[in-house]
Amino acid sequence: MTRHLTEDEVLAAIPGLTRTRLVAFIETEMVLPLRRVDGGAPGHLFRQVDFARVQLLCDLSDDLDLDEPALGVVLALLDQLHATRQDLLAVTRAVQVESPEVRARIGAAIIGSRG
Amino acid sequence: MTTDPYEALGLTKSATQDEIKKAYRKLVRTSHPDLHPDDAGAEARFKAIAAAHDLLKDPETRARFDAGEIDASGAERPQRQYYRDFAEDAGNPYQQRRGFEGRGDPADIFAEILRQRTQQGRDDFGGGGFAAPGPDFRYALEVPFLDAARGGEMRITLPDGASLAVRIPQGAHDGQTLRLRGKGGPGFGGGPSGDALISLSVRPHPVFRRDGNDILVTLPITIDEAVLGAKVTAPTITGPVNLTIPAGATSGRVLRLRGRGVARSGGKTAGDQLVELKIVAPPVIDDALRDFLTEWRKTHADDPRADLLNEALS
Repeated sequence: MTRHLTEDEVLAAIPGLTRTRLVAFIETEMVLPLRRVDGGAPGHLFRQVDFARVQLLCDLSDDLDLDEPALGVVLALLDQLHATRQDLLAVTRAVQVESPEVRARIGAAIIGSRG
Repeated sequence: MTTDPYEALGLTKSATQDEIKKAYRKLVRTSHPDLHPDDAGAEARFKAIAAAHDLLKDPETRARFDAGEIDASGAERPQRQYYRDFAEDAGNPYQQRRGFEGRGDPADIFAEILRQRTQQGRDDFGGGGFAAPGPDFRYALEVPFLDAARGGEMRITLPDGASLAVRIPQGAHDGQTLRLRGKGGPGFGGGPSGDALISLSVRPHPVFRRDGNDILVTLPITIDEAVLGAKVTAPTITGPVNLTIPAGATSGRVLRLRGRGVARSGGKTAGDQLVELKIVAPPVIDDALRDFLTEWRKTHADDPRADLLNEALS
């Protein structure tokens, strides 16, 4: 069964993270946790991906002294980078199953477009 | 890995606290795994410099290290999963794109990638005639095992007090996300409402376990049923069925009930139920059984562990 972390568990696992800051991350939608709707105690539930993202946000704000606007910019760039990588990966996988001639032609076109 | 923390940060013992902080920040920029998703060595480097910084950032622990009271490994950090480990998962909630529209001509796909990119930019800076879809809302829902396997309907109460019926599809699996179109936040400037995204976690069942579309059950049988064979009743997710135990069955033997697993949508064949037999001794061993087995043992020497003991030595 998928294990989600509660707000308290996230706070306990990341030293230096305060509730105020976690709430700010959620309100600015830098992290998008789930909300319980199955009758348990109301509140947020964090998936592993949310938890890792909160850790990254803490690293960026503590270690690099990023304030909130700067954090937003870095995060937006990082999300774009990952989206681009995912697209590139999808294209690479599609090319991989093509015949050698097609792959050679695509390869030549890529080298050609680099100028 | 135990290296000298000063060396890890490219410093000497005479460094000031300020120099330590500066050196660390500089190295974080070049080594944080999430800032360098393609760099395989980044995690190891980041761990080393983070450990070094943890030790040296506090003048007190630094002094203890300098005095040789604690070693460079200090306290080992627990295994950490970085954001990049999830970033490229298919269901990453932080990827807002909804996949390629249409398919076929690769040129169209590239055009689509670029269109979505420019679209994002326009949403942010759009002046007049601004319209945007509403935000998606994300919810967590725990589903009883049988509702997930057989399909069902659940009523949920949203944080704003509204009640919503959610249809759980047949064969829903743990971690699956349901998208309820238009049940998210209202759109801006005439844009459509966002969606409600419901992430399912399937509650374990005391009797049934699931492996894909197959259902697994451990079924206790008596010694006489195992030896003589029997017709017994076995539970399935759609109710009890008759099951024939073949004579001479043994613990661990798996019987297959074809088509009694999770039905798949689209008329494809259903999964099976796999019944693992487990022989249990009678709750009370009476004299009759004891006497019979005592006699029986005298004339039936069999050692089922012989192969096991030989293999254990090889």
